[in-house]
Amino acid sequence: MKKALRILGVLVVLVVLAALAFIYVPVQTTPPNEQLAADWQPETGRGEYVMRAGDCMACHTADGGSPLAGGRGIDSPLGTIWSSNITPDKETGIGNWTLDQFRAAMVDGVVNGKHLYPAMPYENYRFMSESDIRALYAYLMNDVKPVNNAVQATELAFPFNLRFGLRAWNWLALSGDSTFKPMDGDEQQIRGQYLVEGAGHCAACHSPRTTFMAQDGTRLGDANFLAGGELEGWSVPALRGPGASIEKWSTAELAAYLGTGRNVHAIANGEMALAVEHSLQYLNDKDLNAMAVFLKTMDGQAVQEAPKQVAAPGPHATPAARADEAGQATAKLLTAASPDMPLGARLYLDNCAGCHFVTGKGAPEIFPELQGNAMVLGKDPSPLVSVILNGTAIASTSRRPMHLVMQGYADRLNDDEVATLASFVRSAWGNNAAAVTPAQVSQVRSSSPQ
Amino acid sequence: MARIEKKKDVVIVGLGWTGAIAGIELAEEGLEIVALERGRDQNTVPEFKYPNQIDELTYGVRLKNMQHPSQQTVTIRRNDSETALPYRSMGSFLPANGVGGAGVHWNGLLWRPQPEEIQLRSYVKEKWGESIIPEGMNLMDYPVTYDELEPFFTRFDLVAGISGKAGNLNGKIQEGGNPFEGWRSQDYPMPPMPRTYDSTKFEAACKAMGYHPFPAPGGIASTAYVNPYGMQMAPCNFCGFCERFGCYQYSKSSPQTAILDALRRKPNFTYRTHAEVLRVESSPDGKTATGVTYFDAVKQEEVFQPADLVILSAYQLNNVHLLLVSGIGKPYDPATNEGVTGKNYAYQMNGGVNMFFKDANFNPFIGHGSNGICIDDFSVNQNDFGKLGFIGGAYWRSGTFNGQPIRSMILPTDTPTWGAAWKKSIKEWYGHTMSIGTHGSHMSYRANHLDLDPTYKDPHGRPLMRMTFNWQENDLKMNQYMKRKAGEVGHAMKPDMMRLGFKDVGAQYDVRPYQTTHNTGGHIMSDSPLEGVVNRYCQAWDKHNVFVMGAGNFVQNTQYNPTGMVGALAFWTIHAIRTLYLRNPRALV
Amino acid sequence: MSDSLPPSRRSFLIASGAGMALSSLPFYAHSKEAPVSLDQYEPGYFTADEWRFVMAATARLIPSEGDGPGALETHVPVFIDRQLAGEYGSAKDWYMAGPHDPTASPDRGWQTPLNPAQLYRKAIPAFNAWCQLRWSKDFTELSTEQQDQALTALQKGEAELNPELSVFFSTLLSNTKEGYFADPMHGGNYGMQAWSYIGFPGARASYMEWVDQHNVKYPLGPVSIKGERA
Repeated sequence: MKKALRILGVLVVLVVLAALAFIYVPVQTTPPNEQLAADWQPETGRGEYVMRAGDCMACHTADGGSPLAGGRGIDSPLGTIWSSNITPDKETGIGNWTLDQFRAAMVDGVVNGKHLYPAMPYENYRFMSESDIRALYAYLMNDVKPVNNAVQATELAFPFNLRFGLRAWNWLALSGDSTFKPMDGDEQQIRGQYLVEGAGHCAACHSPRTTFMAQDGTRLGDANFLAGGELEGWSVPALRGPGASIEKWSTAELAAYLGTGRNVHAIANGEMALAVEHSLQYLNDKDLNAMAVFLKTMDGQAVQEAPKQVAAPGPHATPAARADEAGQATAKLLTAASPDMPLGARLYLDNCAGCHFVTGKGAPEIFPELQGNAMVLGKDPSPLVSVILNGTAIASTSRRPMHLVMQGYADRLNDDEVATLASFVRSAWGNNAAAVTPAQVSQVRSSSPQ
Repeated sequence: MARIEKKKDVVIVGLGWTGAIAGIELAEEGLEIVALERGRDQNTVPEFKYPNQIDELTYGVRLKNMQHPSQQTVTIRRNDSETALPYRSMGSFLPANGVGGAGVHWNGLLWRPQPEEIQLRSYVKEKWGESIIPEGMNLMDYPVTYDELEPFFTRFDLVAGISGKAGNLNGKIQEGGNPFEGWRSQDYPMPPMPRTYDSTKFEAACKAMGYHPFPAPGGIASTAYVNPYGMQMAPCNFCGFCERFGCYQYSKSSPQTAILDALRRKPNFTYRTHAEVLRVESSPDGKTATGVTYFDAVKQEEVFQPADLVILSAYQLNNVHLLLVSGIGKPYDPATNEGVTGKNYAYQMNGGVNMFFKDANFNPFIGHGSNGICIDDFSVNQNDFGKLGFIGGAYWRSGTFNGQPIRSMILPTDTPTWGAAWKKSIKEWYGHTMSIGTHGSHMSYRANHLDLDPTYKDPHGRPLMRMTFNWQENDLKMNQYMKRKAGEVGHAMKPDMMRLGFKDVGAQYDVRPYQTTHNTGGHIMSDSPLEGVVNRYCQAWDKHNVFVMGAGNFVQNTQYNPTGMVGALAFWTIHAIRTLYLRNPRALV
Repeated sequence: MSDSLPPSRRSFLIASGAGMALSSLPFYAHSKEAPVSLDQYEPGYFTADEWRFVMAATARLIPSEGDGPGALETHVPVFIDRQLAGEYGSAKDWYMAGPHDPTASPDRGWQTPLNPAQLYRKAIPAFNAWCQLRWSKDFTELSTEQQDQALTALQKGEAELNPELSVFFSTLLSNTKEGYFADPMHGGNYGMQAWSYIGFPGARASYMEWVDQHNVKYPLGPVSIKGERA
């Protein structure tokens, strides 16, 4: 008995010690992955470029707030996470941080011994090179206006407010070390891979999540890398595998889409439109082409040539595509304009055919295809319904400056009509996705902003 | 005491076609530029969005996209012995309001004048002698040549995005294009639009009579298009709501489709809306402008915007008005034919043949503003002026541009305008009519001029501009010639009935029906300061830092819709500013 | 003012629908004009007498008899009432400052000092007074033949109205046709009957695939701006 108690006591002490160690022993931070001289300087503009590639603005700038001064609330099922002030303000920002501290945030998700919530995608940023991280640090410290903005503390419900819990989470989430492992390919593919895996953090949306909400596939070689994800109930398209939209796009079309949010087939909307607006449009042609080449050759496909200049300016004229074989029947039905046509087709003619045409092919770079469109065919029809009700837009970009806007039809169509119309486009021109119910429409309508 | 804004390098008055061209081209020079627009900001969505824009009553009849006479208008009289009365409710011409200007609500027809039209006086002198020029006609040459302007015609074609088929590529005549046009260095950036039924009937009739039909040149996209600024257009769907309406489809060429979003990205360019320029301010010695004074309608106060360079890009009528109230150029006196500001006001001489075909189905609502097939066989450079007894010419076009029932209900002559017979007639004939339009030149005359009205004022207390204008014999004779020739083609098409609408000699200007928004002249270009307000670079003779854009520069009106020439002159002027003026600001001539 | 849904903020964790904060926003009810019958309509501008006049006059300008709807079936009087109660009636967009010369010839345009609303208000009793002189009855009491005669006289300028009222007939006729053919949201063209009658597709405004269908009558009925179908 006494022996058992003693063993128990030792175990308790060991557990307590382990717990204390878990909580209090500082995390080992990762050392730099490149040895740079102490007086190493990045090229002019490099730090800003890395900031754009990493899209720091997206989270670290609040609506109407000063750039990078934090205070944007990021919704999670666990509560709101408030982005921090990363301007070099000494009181409320990162003005007092060393390069080592900055690197620890980017690579290990640790700030002054405290763990960051993986809303900050350090799962991806950790693949970035030391020179990029250092250039980014220099940019934030020297070129960004310091702004005094005390961001409110993130307060998640217990036990998620216990940040040391993230240490355990990180053990589960961060598989492998943070070294970038270049693929077996040429310089362009490797550069593309580097951008996609690292600063681009594409996996943060385009990879699925594990039960613990970690990214299930952060790098080439992971089974589910870029296999498709979900964001607030909206499906994020797969970039690999059969049925991935980009399989049908040329490399040039993919590069154009990344840089401008628009190509012959599709127009970016929602979160991807924001990624184009704040980040991707600022990448140079070489990098956009590199990312496109990588994404198109991840699984060993042959490299396809693409023009050096991404989305070159005009003048150039591209006719709207005719209906293909799969689209013939629907195009004929719509063209006949018979007063007896089914209601879905009638609604399409009265509301959509003006831009998307009876072919369902839209017009290159300006009106997206509905035939074979990933968003139109998504398992969850909410994004499609939302676009019908509220419209959508793609921001002005440097190469394609037009701010393209589609108007919404919430005032013109009731729930029954939207459901009938959405069901029609999901089954026309050879599309094959489930019908939409009025209840689904009602749900989207009531959660839409005024 | 007006509020004073921070000085800018350039102030642009009016943000329509020419203001947008000036803005985007000058922004390349790194200058600090501000544009002042009297009206509101406008974008495809929401201001022109579908379905709200497809409202014939609101935009086609109540003219909500236009300048409202209550904010600015003119007084009109036919001759010096009439008292000018205000143009109170609009009819004959429809100036625009808001960002994009008339480029929002036009029909898209985008032509180049014929080379002969640009040196018309010399052309007449050479072929027939100056004695055929009637007394009172101020026939002039432009102080630029077609060849000098050709690269700028082409530049505007590419920026605007136009559909069509070249007829003359570098001197070689092209099958299917207009064989009588001036030479082009490049073909149209987009292929011609598809043809509606009515235009194919006209085309066949023209070919049978030995004429040379070609597709109408339009700032209407036949494909998806990207212009040199990266701006985009979508192919037109023939919605039939072109003129008077903003395009919901990104298909009609406008500052919105061609320039504005690219311009908004320039950090050195800003614009202010609800800012109506009242006057151009002058230095004490009168040799330069110091900037402009405008009324800020939001803050309800006057503002002085100082600037080194002033560009007047308002609509022709408003530009001339501004020059008159600012005292730039000596006001024109028709009695002595001296003075320049207000001189050589001209318009357009049009006619039409309506044909009724019981058994044909025309679907008139399927169309666009530049629809149709044209012929230039009766154009300026095809007519023997000496033999025919007039100076001028017209292009013809046949192609439906709208079937809107309030405005476009063509019924046979003598149909009662109301009652049971009217109701029967609209069912019988709607969708069974087509027409041929003749669109003719208009010369300048001493009798037609612009000045300030002695009685009526605008909301700011400035006198309204007064338009003295009537049809003149020369152009009416030209019109009667077109009536005869177009009537022949109409007959040849064997309609069940025909109805001709051509003003005859003696016709009086009627301000009620719409007759084009092609008001020209008033601040014409000239070789000498005694003849015009601006020189060949559209630079004011009086003040070297004032440049004036638009159709007010036209010495007389060509036979074509003015926009092509307006756009080309804008690029030409800005090119001169960039290459000649900026490094050494001075009078360039 | 953007027409597009402002995208959700970056949420990092997926959850099936649980992530979004729902606020109590008004439900987007689908609104199309509720039908109103002419005898139940309460004019916003016309007096009872004026309303009766306009009903009777428009009924002669576009009669009910024969094929196709008339002014009453299409609720033209409702349209005119609403127009006169609004910006058109008050000539808000027009230049109405004096001095005025209402005797100016018609080709000088609108020169009466009256705006359209005032025009109706003054012209209706003046025209009734002329009818009284001629037939000892107000317009609404005349037979339809007499009404047609009266309107014809008015159209020809034979009703000896004050010059400032001389533009009344052409205004009434224009407003009647506007009300007959305008989009139903303006109060007339009830049920798009006038469009269906002549074969005008209304606000569909999209026909790219029909351009090359030459000499074939377009078969599909109209749609209105608010989405009503016929």
